[in-house]
Amino acid sequence: MEKLINREDSQKLYVQLFNILRGKIEAGEWIVDSQIPTEEELCKVYDISKATVRLAIADLARQGYLKRQQGKGTFVCKRIIPEGISMLTSFKENMLEAGVQFSTKVLAQTSVMPIDDIDIKLNIPEDKHIIYIKRLRLVDEDPVLLQETYIPHQICPPLLEDDLENNSIHELLEKKYGIKITRVQGYISTIYLNNDEGMLLGLQEGSCALLLEQYFYSGDSQITYTRSVKRSDRFRFFIELERK
Amino acid sequence: MIESKKVRDAMVDVFGFPHIPHWFTIKQAMGIIKKSFVEAEKCVFPQVVLVFDEKYNLMGTFTPRDIIKGLEPKLKHVTIKDAEIAYINENALASFEANLFSSQSKELAGKPVSEIMIPAKTFVLPEDTVLKAAFLMVHNNLVVLPVLENKKLVGVVRMLEAFDEISNIVLE
Repeated sequence: MEKLINREDSQKLYVQLFNILRGKIEAGEWIVDSQIPTEEELCKVYDISKATVRLAIADLARQGYLKRQQGKGTFVCKRIIPEGISMLTSFKENMLEAGVQFSTKVLAQTSVMPIDDIDIKLNIPEDKHIIYIKRLRLVDEDPVLLQETYIPHQICPPLLEDDLENNSIHELLEKKYGIKITRVQGYISTIYLNNDEGMLLGLQEGSCALLLEQYFYSGDSQITYTRSVKRSDRFRFFIELERK
Repeated sequence: MIESKKVRDAMVDVFGFPHIPHWFTIKQAMGIIKKSFVEAEKCVFPQVVLVFDEKYNLMGTFTPRDIIKGLEPKLKHVTIKDAEIAYINENALASFEANLFSSQSKELAGKPVSEIMIPAKTFVLPEDTVLKAAFLMVHNNLVVLPVLENKKLVGVVRMLEAFDEISNIVLE
């Protein structure tokens, strides 16, 4: 029997929908690579608004259950199960060489509309403006890290004008604009570089690299999504666990 | 001399219009137009997209009409003769239609929007008059006119604002 939304329940509607849809995926009712119903269809079936459906789908996408393909629809993913490191207290990324100094080239600092699944990753409507920042970080003139940051424009419009060659985006958000970062979710995976990434990092297209995707939150609001492509021969990640 | 409103008092916010960088493809731009104007059912006039470079400098603008023109090479060079044939002869119209927006259009949709945009070459300052803006828009056949202050885009004047100012003067 189809599980439905219970409006008497104190749980938020999008959380209820998230649990229902996740249940369908985990039970195999919606199989990997299959297309899920459209937002409009889900609105009808569960008698809820499009905004509620979008929130639930955004969370499912963020947790790796779904992926959205522009112009095609939303599909069930082969899920990579995150490691349950509940004791995590410290996470750092280090260059393999100690004490190196980065220099930064700003390749783009402009305003765009969301494409692909960026609206879902930022949890914003599809027609909202985004500040897009693309930076290349170098060590001794060698490119080692390509970073793209997406920020909903309304979060911090002046960021379009700031000096991002000499300042950290998140430091500016905290110190200059008083937007305190309270939570960061990070996902590390490996990727094959596309032509543009390969060219910028001085590697061949198809070379393997590390991808760190980070979602930054201030309270309940998501403030940035950052995609960092790192040369795997220049970085390592450090995780420290401490039992409390 | 006629006293006209200043551009500063008539311009509208640029964030009322979609922004895209010059490297986005026509296909991506079509998706953005659908989301921003069609599916959102917003009454944005004119339906224009602003194109920026890497440093958020305005490079140009385009409308859905420019995209359609960019996707069909025949539309760039439609002659009066073509139009007459299409209008008069139903068979000719059918054959003309059958070849429109063919597989070539899909290839063209992969091109960057910089190839179909109308380059932004004409600007006004906030202290300029709306009359000057109206003249420039009509003279250059523009749907919006960018307003620059210290070389940065601070707003746009639409034909609607220009028309309003002129009608106030004429009907006074």
